[in-house]
Amino acid sequence: MRALIVDDEVHARASLKAMLEATGEIVVIGSCADAIQALHALKAEGPDVLFLDVQMPKVSGLQLVSMIDREQMPHVVFVTAHDAYAVKAFDENAVDYLLKPVQKDRLARTVDKLKRAVRDGARPTFDSPAIERIPCTGVSSIRLVDVSEVEFVRSGPAGVYVVTPRGEFLTELTLQVLEAKTDLARCHRQVLVNVRQIEEVLRPEPRAAVLRLKSGKEVPASRRYFLKLKERLGLRRDGKYLDPLS
Amino acid sequence: MKLLFALILAMSFFLFVAYLYCKSPAFSPLHSEALRPRHKLFLFVLFSALSITGTYLGLPVQGAIANTRAIGPILAGLIGGPVLGAAVGLTGGLHRWWLGGFTGFSCGLSTLTEGLMGGLVHLYLVRRGRSDEVFRPWVAFTTTLVAEATQMAIILAVARPFADALALVEVIALPMIAANSAGAALFISIIRDRQELYDQVGAISSARALRIAERTLAVMSRGFDAGAAPEMARIIHQETGVGAVAITDAERVLAFVGYGAEHHHAGTPIASDWTRRAISEITTTYADGVHERYECPLSRDCPLHSVLVVPLLVDGEVVGTIKLYEPAHRRFLSFNRTLGEGLKVLLSSQLLRARYQEQKSLLVMSELKLARAQVNPHFLFNALNTIMAMLPAASRPRDLLNNLSNFFRANLKRNNELSTIEEELEHVSAYLEIEKARFEDRLAVEVEVDRTLLQLRVPTFTLQPLMENAIKHGISDMLTPGTARIRIYRQDGAARVDVEDDAGAFDERKGRGDGLGMRIVDKRIRNLLGEGHGLTTSCVPNQLTRVSFTVPIPVAVP
Repeated sequence: MRALIVDDEVHARASLKAMLEATGEIVVIGSCADAIQALHALKAEGPDVLFLDVQMPKVSGLQLVSMIDREQMPHVVFVTAHDAYAVKAFDENAVDYLLKPVQKDRLARTVDKLKRAVRDGARPTFDSPAIERIPCTGVSSIRLVDVSEVEFVRSGPAGVYVVTPRGEFLTELTLQVLEAKTDLARCHRQVLVNVRQIEEVLRPEPRAAVLRLKSGKEVPASRRYFLKLKERLGLRRDGKYLDPLS
Repeated sequence: MKLLFALILAMSFFLFVAYLYCKSPAFSPLHSEALRPRHKLFLFVLFSALSITGTYLGLPVQGAIANTRAIGPILAGLIGGPVLGAAVGLTGGLHRWWLGGFTGFSCGLSTLTEGLMGGLVHLYLVRRGRSDEVFRPWVAFTTTLVAEATQMAIILAVARPFADALALVEVIALPMIAANSAGAALFISIIRDRQELYDQVGAISSARALRIAERTLAVMSRGFDAGAAPEMARIIHQETGVGAVAITDAERVLAFVGYGAEHHHAGTPIASDWTRRAISEITTTYADGVHERYECPLSRDCPLHSVLVVPLLVDGEVVGTIKLYEPAHRRFLSFNRTLGEGLKVLLSSQLLRARYQEQKSLLVMSELKLARAQVNPHFLFNALNTIMAMLPAASRPRDLLNNLSNFFRANLKRNNELSTIEEELEHVSAYLEIEKARFEDRLAVEVEVDRTLLQLRVPTFTLQPLMENAIKHGISDMLTPGTARIRIYRQDGAARVDVEDDAGAFDERKGRGDGLGMRIVDKRIRNLLGEGHGLTTSCVPNQLTRVSFTVPIPVAVP
């Protein structure tokens, strides 16, 4: 099994790594100091198991789980000093948790459980909390963008961009994750829009629409997603934005 | 008959004076047992004047004067005792003697006697514990009746020739006895009515004060804050019926009810000079709206013209004020002014009680916290000692365990309410060594301390919880390395303690003390060092959070 360790304390990471490797069942493919590094490593390495500290800067272990794409979702083991109660919000069968300092025989039981799950090919699913702030990477800094601040999110060849009045920021999160865990709405195969930012719906041609946002920016809406979006917007057939696409 | 009417006329003049006196501001309730010298002098002048006027208003009858002179001395005696009675009697008597006539001396003498008689009745009643009866009309009536009869006897005994005296007495005895007795009784009854009115007003105001006390007690037991203030203001507004009521703490308005509420808002800083002066000078300030007008600093259209500001005190410190207002068209009742002063005493003592309750519950909470974390200290320190013994002598783990045991030991020491800054710094440093190991290069610590302040005493367990807060909610939530800083230095004659972190993550909306730990520290500092010494927090988002408090430097510490 290939495991990734995420913990903001260097000694805790080292100790867990040594213990995991001593079991002979697990290869530690990397260790990360925060959730943002972890998102990157998850994408690059695709580990089978994630050993995850709960209390971490900016984005907690619990929030990190919300940000992982379902396709890449590894098995998750939370590692925590005291607040095991937070982990209990998850389904007991879906996740396991270890208390710090980690006990050797308790870890052995966890590893056994993981082995069975991986062998059965079970895909873990979590009822994880909504995302409130989207971690984005800038040139030299990490920025957490409030979902309410977002105008729209678009995916391009270089990755997923979060567009706000203060600029565009690259994020590791996928459109699928953002659509599932925030209230941003899909309006195009490559675009999520913040419904509250929509000012007007324009119809330059019959088979497509353009959403004009409050900031003046324009976002394309394809026919396929526009039907659903219309319901969310509550547009009436006799309303101002009577739709030519339907 | 003509004589009787003349006397009744004279008597009416007395009653007119009595009425005027009662209406005048000079009147204050007479308590016959405890008259002040100033008051006695006033009564002497008043009744002497009455007595002399009585002589002049009399009717000349057969070389003598039928008169109402006796009422003055008798009432003076009844109200003020034998000395006052005799003094008034002597004045009235001397005056009568000086006027002359064949009854001049006998009438003068009898006036003195009548004053004394009134005084003796006063003495008798007071000694029997029935001093209230001094103001009973029938007592005045009977006393005067007997006194006037005595006067007639004195005239017969002293005035010569006896035949003339007898003829005179035959004419004047009945009208004078009747008119004087009735006059004295009516005079007393006017004073008594007025007195009863005063008592009734007093009773109403006491009842009102008691009702306010009863209604505010429940509200105040929750403490003096923005939560309790609106309800208190509403209660006081209802019970006093003044135009408006405001409650402030030492800095801002907590609640405002009544006229002008549309521009006086809760939460705004104190703007009025009257309030500021009440707070800074710890005194009641009052603008009556006539000589001094309350001018609203917020709006020119404010209807409020008069204000009474009473400071609320706890342990001699102003924690807030209560303000009663009246609009331009209403006079500020002196009644409400007295009530305001009463409220000050009442609410201040309720506040003291609330604070006591709060201290008690904080104590219980921290005891519970302690009990939950209880480990047998012998076991703990022995275990740490054993593990340390197994580790290489000069190793980092051994140092860390040493710090851990120092940290636990400091936590267990709680019998002292105050510790020196040096002890507090040792506690923090044990804690920080462990945190530095946990976070390694993510945590840097700077300590700048004025070494002359090391022996200054501060409440135990203040620095470490503040530092723990800075790390737990500040630096540990940073993606980049952070710095925590303790600075202890002199400022404006006090010692100032700053605990800072450069995460700048303090949430203004949550306010000061987001957890039990911070709240306990804040309360402990306030309780042990005084209201003015609580925690203050400033925050520059993403750059700096600073939690500070000041410690007074006693003169003994150089």
